[in-house]
Amino acid sequence: MLRIIILVLFSTSIAANVCTQDFESLPVQAAGRVKPLLVHANETIKFITGKSKFEGMSSLETFCKLSLSSIGLSESFELPIKVEHIEAKKLMDMDENSNFIPSSKAMNYKELIRAQIMKTKRTSPLKKELNKVWARINNYELIKNGQSWTVPIFAENKALWHGLADVAKDKTDIKNFFKNKKEKYIELEGDNYLMELTYVKSHIFDVAMLLALIGIFATVLLKSPKVGVFFGIFTILIEIAGMTMRVLISGRAPITNMYETVMFSGFGALVIALIVMIFKRDKIFLLAGLGYNVLCLFMMKFANNMLDPSISPLVPVLRDNFWLSTHVTTIILSYAALALSWILANIVLVKNKLGKLSKADYRYYEQLIGTSVKVGVVLLAAGIILGGVWADYSWGRFWGWDPKETWSLIVLLFYMAVLHGKYTNWVNTHRFVILTAAGFMTVMMAWFGVNYILATGLHSYGFSEGGAIFLGTFFMVQTIILIICGVSLKGLKSVQVNS
Amino acid sequence: MGILPHMKNLNLLNNPLTSLGKAYKKLESTLGSMKFAVVIILVFAIALVYGTFMESYHGREFANKLVYKSWWFMGLQLFMFISILVATLNRLPAKKMLYGFYTLHAGLLILFAGSFLTYVTGVDGMLELMPKEPSNTVRVQEDQFVVGYPNGEVKIFTLPDGAFENEMNYEEPGLQIKKYLPFSKLNTVWRPSQGTPASSAVYTIYNENVAEQMIMSLHPESDFQSMQKLGPLSVHFMPETLYSCFTQKTESGFIVWNTEEDICYTAESENYEIKKTPTNNLFMIIPHKGEYLKFFPDFSPLPLNDDLTKRQDTPFRVFSKKLFEKKPNLFLFGDKTVFFHKRKGWLGREFTDKRPVSLPWMNFKLTLDSFRPNAYPAQVPSYSRPVQDQGEIIEGGIKAVLINFYGQDYWVRSDQPLALSNGDKQVRFQIKSREIKLPYQITLDRFKMDKNPGTNDPASYESFVSLLDGRTNTPASSHHVFMNNPLKYDDFTFYQSSYFQVGPNEYGSAFSVNYDPGRPIKYLGSILLVFGSTWHFALRRRKKRKFFEKESTIESQSEKS
Repeated sequence: MLRIIILVLFSTSIAANVCTQDFESLPVQAAGRVKPLLVHANETIKFITGKSKFEGMSSLETFCKLSLSSIGLSESFELPIKVEHIEAKKLMDMDENSNFIPSSKAMNYKELIRAQIMKTKRTSPLKKELNKVWARINNYELIKNGQSWTVPIFAENKALWHGLADVAKDKTDIKNFFKNKKEKYIELEGDNYLMELTYVKSHIFDVAMLLALIGIFATVLLKSPKVGVFFGIFTILIEIAGMTMRVLISGRAPITNMYETVMFSGFGALVIALIVMIFKRDKIFLLAGLGYNVLCLFMMKFANNMLDPSISPLVPVLRDNFWLSTHVTTIILSYAALALSWILANIVLVKNKLGKLSKADYRYYEQLIGTSVKVGVVLLAAGIILGGVWADYSWGRFWGWDPKETWSLIVLLFYMAVLHGKYTNWVNTHRFVILTAAGFMTVMMAWFGVNYILATGLHSYGFSEGGAIFLGTFFMVQTIILIICGVSLKGLKSVQVNS
Repeated sequence: MGILPHMKNLNLLNNPLTSLGKAYKKLESTLGSMKFAVVIILVFAIALVYGTFMESYHGREFANKLVYKSWWFMGLQLFMFISILVATLNRLPAKKMLYGFYTLHAGLLILFAGSFLTYVTGVDGMLELMPKEPSNTVRVQEDQFVVGYPNGEVKIFTLPDGAFENEMNYEEPGLQIKKYLPFSKLNTVWRPSQGTPASSAVYTIYNENVAEQMIMSLHPESDFQSMQKLGPLSVHFMPETLYSCFTQKTESGFIVWNTEEDICYTAESENYEIKKTPTNNLFMIIPHKGEYLKFFPDFSPLPLNDDLTKRQDTPFRVFSKKLFEKKPNLFLFGDKTVFFHKRKGWLGREFTDKRPVSLPWMNFKLTLDSFRPNAYPAQVPSYSRPVQDQGEIIEGGIKAVLINFYGQDYWVRSDQPLALSNGDKQVRFQIKSREIKLPYQITLDRFKMDKNPGTNDPASYESFVSLLDGRTNTPASSHHVFMNNPLKYDDFTFYQSSYFQVGPNEYGSAFSVNYDPGRPIKYLGSILLVFGSTWHFALRRRKKRKFFEKESTIESQSEKS
């Protein structure tokens, strides 16, 4: 008994010694590029377990120990594998209230899961979930077999990557082995990949969120817009630093997936808000810009099911930095401007409902909202055309009725109808504000809906995925606000304002 | 008295003129009005929403036929064009404050005109190149029905654009084209064998994980085969007469089938001698009509000529059972089945009372669902909206044309051409995309694909092609085509668009081929549009500062005019 305890203590102490913090900077090739071990460990453990810690150990430690168990330098252990879909839980004989299954148990169901995936011919939420669960089990096995952690072997001045278990023959001095590999790799390819370590460890977007929140508090509670502007500019600078790091890591404009577009739109809205503030000295722009910025940062931090923060290689079609940056940037900036108008419109609607607005105020805010809408519309038109030119340049087709481009056109058309409507007696001040608040739903549909609702197709609806739930909730909340604030006696009276 | 009618005539003459003038005024005030603009913009937007959902459910082609390329959608765009045109003309003569407005709306009109020019005269097609094979065929997404007559004449019919069942009324002696289904799925129907003695049957093979229905037929006109592969398992549907031979014990494992007399026997029962070639290959000789037919059953069931080519003209087939012992093979003979069991050898089973037969692989079981000695299964298309799943059409992706050929109806399907005979003359029918023949040949010399390191995902793909123009005396020119670097030649531009695998590590390349005379016009319109909208809003803002009080009156005036 004592021997066993000593053995266990001894072996864990080896592992504890081996898996030190300085392993975080080792180079690893995964998902098509080279990254620091810390990033790979974080991404993989998060994917398998849905969490960033396991029994008090960090992802790095968990990943490291489990990997080193393949060459006997540590004890092997189990990980909880995340399963969310109720039918998937039933298939794996799990307790329906638990979202996790021990890896050893999960491995017994691998064949059954595969068969179930093959049997389901059409894509369904269950099939997607089973694919994910299968990949999680597979990832766990890869770590355990020392294949997930790749190590460079150098031949003819080129780094070839192999699983840890295949190359780490000398187990006595594993630390030196890794150290040498790292030094050799940096000597050959440079230490560019370490930038990602700085990026991940700095939590730079959390810092930005904090600054933006302070800016809001300063403006609202301390009633000091100057301090607010200072923090707004500070937020922008921090976000520029964060995006620059992503550019240096990926070598492309930071606007290639949902995570990055949300990031850029928050940034863009704050910049536009501050620029407009130069002309229209009203702190409401600052508040809207900071508020929307915080909203975006919030989503980036907590909606990782929908917005994947990892950096992965681009599909070949999009590999053109010039067009990518001009076209997508313009579109996202236009969404940012429209987002400002959306926030302003909602603020004004609520204020109006609470009876805090005079008619003159209402008209004044209509002008402010109108300015944002016009900036957004011009940028959107330019962005759509730039997209057409890129498509024409890349594959000879200016326009192809692709859902993404069609929806951006629908957004433009909606706002065009509203702007034209202002010249008729159909759209007065109150209705204009309501319509701009509602208009952002078309933006959300073009931005998120095409990816999360349209792309899934008819037969896989089931609102089980993060994106669809998010969108549904957004539409619902916005509609409720519109109903409460839009239909009121005050609103009916304000019909008289414009005519 | 005589003057009055004359006056009346004058009035009649004048009336149409004034009413024409009134009509124009009315047109101006309705089609050019803001309200009409709002309505047409919204209707257009709603049509687009509908289109994107249709695209998501039913795929690109269906959405194109139903919405984007339909006549009513074209009509909507025409109304938008007219609305913008009249609204712009309404605001003439030019006022300085409206310069941005004129630029912006002129840009839109030019953009519309350019798009229309592209739509009418442009070409948007695909060129697929197999490695090292010259080609000049560009395929355009426009379906045609092609009839090839025995005298070499070819008639090409353009198929209608509708998204649903389209009636076609073409008639000539012996041939009638009745209708066209742009989207259909196949239904299995049973037809009498009519003199051809050939059986068909339906089986289900299943285990706890999978179930698969197998429809098999020996009838030559059936759309189903007598052989199928299910993963590693090969399934063979054979005439019932062969059952006894497959279950009989034979030393050599050679089974002889006389297709003329429809009898079978083993090599031993007929005392055919089995010999070995110097290279240890087994062979057997069957005397037939004064000839000696040489069989190498381990290579082919057909007799071989001296030059090792196969002979199709004899009724004999020789199977080597031993050949089927190495891999899973299932033999079906209507209501009986034979398979090889690793320990128990060749086993024969009969289907009785719908009870399943257990197979020796992965707990598979087999049931006979129906056995039709005198009927064969055929596949008949019926209209079905296509279904898209993960970007692929999984149902309803077949196009079909119904024809009547000398009194009998036939379906011609896009997935297989049809040849019909009247007497000894054969007429061929086919549904295919319209083809454009380029006056020069393009050859794919080399295809290069880079992958993201450590994965199988392509990072880039590039084609090295050579172009040979027979009209000039210049030698073939070499070009490097890759993403964002197209090849321009004559009127056409070739863009690298995708690739397809043709063998291990061998790829073919696909290019989108484009001819667009509307391009400069569209670009001009785009520039005017963006420039004009910026100008417009900037002008209006300045104006607002000056005339803030007057704004509403100016707007209501421009609305009225």
